[in-house]
Order: sequence, then structure tokens, then C-alpha cells
Amino acid sequence: MSKSHHAEKATGKGDPQMFKGEAGPAKFKVGDRVRIKDLPDLFYTRSQVYTRGALGEVAVVTHESPAPEDEAWDNVDKPEWFYIVRFRQKDLWPEYPDAYANDTLQTELSERWLELA
Amino acid sequence: MAEKHKAAPMVEEVSDFEALEMAVRELAIEKGLFTADDHRRFTEFAHSIGSLPAARLVAKAWLDPEFKKLALEDGVKASLEVGIDWLNPTGFGTPSDYTDLRVLEDTPKVKHVVVCSLCSCYPRPILGHSPEWYRTPNYRRRIVRWPRQVLAEFGLQIPEDVDVRVEDSNQKCRFMVMPMRPEGTEGWTEEQLAEIVTRDCMIGVALPRPDVKANAKRPVHKAIHPVEHH
Repeated sequence: MSKSHHAEKATGKGDPQMFKGEAGPAKFKVGDRVRIKDLPDLFYTRSQVYTRGALGEVAVVTHESPAPEDEAWDNVDKPEWFYIVRFRQKDLWPEYPDAYANDTLQTELSERWLELA
Repeated sequence: MAEKHKAAPMVEEVSDFEALEMAVRELAIEKGLFTADDHRRFTEFAHSIGSLPAARLVAKAWLDPEFKKLALEDGVKASLEVGIDWLNPTGFGTPSDYTDLRVLEDTPKVKHVVVCSLCSCYPRPILGHSPEWYRTPNYRRRIVRWPRQVLAEFGLQIPEDVDVRVEDSNQKCRFMVMPMRPEGTEGWTEEQLAEIVTRDCMIGVALPRPDVKANAKRPVHKAIHPVEHH
């Protein structure tokens, strides 16, 4: 049985390492204030609804990979940079107590989901 | 024509999900996606991983500042030093675990806890299988929004002057927590330190203690009206 295209490309490198260099320069950098766009997400997404419209800060620039919204359909030609974005919990949840105002949540989003705030 | 397959004899009842798994696995084997032997080898590999490699990574980091730096910069490279190659056993990693481990360092100011609110992503190649509670909507939905309350249910009350940081691992990165080294472990060897870094400590719902070497028990109430399987 022939190996899949993914296996051929990833062997010896791993996934997401196999996409290194394919996304071009990263649009955002650590420390950037970003807002999460509420893009249409028909059929599949990995961008949580609780992040949409929220203001956060880029904490880590992680790796290049096809966005999950593309990868789910095997459209892997245009990898993007991924970012761990950190949010204040108070900015995500209306009832989050002031006593814990410094609590944060961070999650990872691909470049298409971010815009400079 | 495929012969009828019976449930494995040690299982008293077969749940719908187990029946589904058998059906999908047998179909995949019939279609030639993988062989039964591939599946057995992979299952044995996955089940052979416990939490010790990750515990050793933490213990090493506690003892060696240079290794700690490596662990925080490149989790996959650091994993190699505790005998874990994230490319195993396929040469390109496991399905759904990928090959980008990130280690989250707890500090006196920040306490981390990991979840996958979308499904149950977990750093299996170095930490072994996730506990059942980690996969439940109960944990996944609530820890992102009420982390201190949920941590309190695990017996952890984080003081006001320590910030709680939830890591929702929703993409290809996989995360483990490097908790702070507790008092009362001065002069300990790497083995002794690794013994107290339990799986729950590396998810972030427990703190290592010199007198605790096992995860807290999560007893399950017996059903008063158990589901009948026909």
C-alpha cells in the first residue's frame, strides 16, 4: 500500500515541522495587541466562539501549518503562521471576579483569525 | 467473507462506542488502510507510555538550569533526553498528537492548567493516556471559564496573589505543566523528584508534594439505575 502524501512529506520531520518555511513572514509578533475576527466558520473551525471579538496579546509565535479550516478538507497548499494569544479572563467572561483580575487564558489561532487592535 | 467477531471475553458489556470502534477498525482493515498487526503494534505502543518520562523531564529541569532552558525552548528536543522521540512510531509522529510539545513553567506568580476545550488533545507521547475526567465536557467547558472553582474541586486553592493561566490546546501544539519544586525536597535525586511529579501535576490540577506519589483517586458513584445493554 503506498504511503499517503502526508506521510511522505512528514517522515523524519514531523507535523507541523513539515510546513516550515511555507508561510512566508509572520504578520504578527510577540507583544502585538490583536483582536480575534469573527470569520464565517461553516462546517469546521478550531477557533472557539468565546474568543471571537476578544482583545488579546500575542504571547508566542508557534509554527507554520495549514489552517485547520483548510486542513480538514485536505487543502494544505497555503500554510499560515500560528500564534498563542493571551486574553485576560475578565475580557472573556462577564462575571469573572475582580479579585482575580490578572488571571489569563491563552489559546492558539492561525493568522487569518487575527487583526491588529 | 469476514467471520463474525465476538466481543473480547473480559468485557462484561459493550458500549455503543466500543461497537463503533470495532466496526470502524474492521472496516479499515478490510479496506487495507492498515493491517490488524499495525493496529496491535500501535495500540501496544500507545499503552506502553506512562507519565514517567514527563516526570523525569520536570525533575531534570528542577536539577539542571541548562536543561530547564532547553525544555522551555524546545520541548521535542528535551523529550529526547528522557527517551521520548515524538516522531515515534511512524517516523512522523502519532495521529492527533503531532510533534510540537511546549512546556509551561509555573512560577511564584503564575499557575498553569491545561485543557482541550474542543476535544481532548493531550501530550500522549510523553505523558501517556489522558484520564477520563480530562475528556469530559464537564472539565473542558468549565475549566476555561471557572478555573479556580474547578481547581478547588481537585483540592487546589490558588492564592489571590498567584495568577491562574489556562492553556486551551486547540491546535497542533501539545502542552505539559512544569510545576514548581516543592519545599522538603532538598538534596533529592532525580528519581526521587520524578516520583512526586504525578500526571495530575503536569496537567496542572495538582501540585507536587514530598509525601504524594500517586494521583488522587477519582471514585465513580455506582449507577442506581445502570443502563441496560441489549
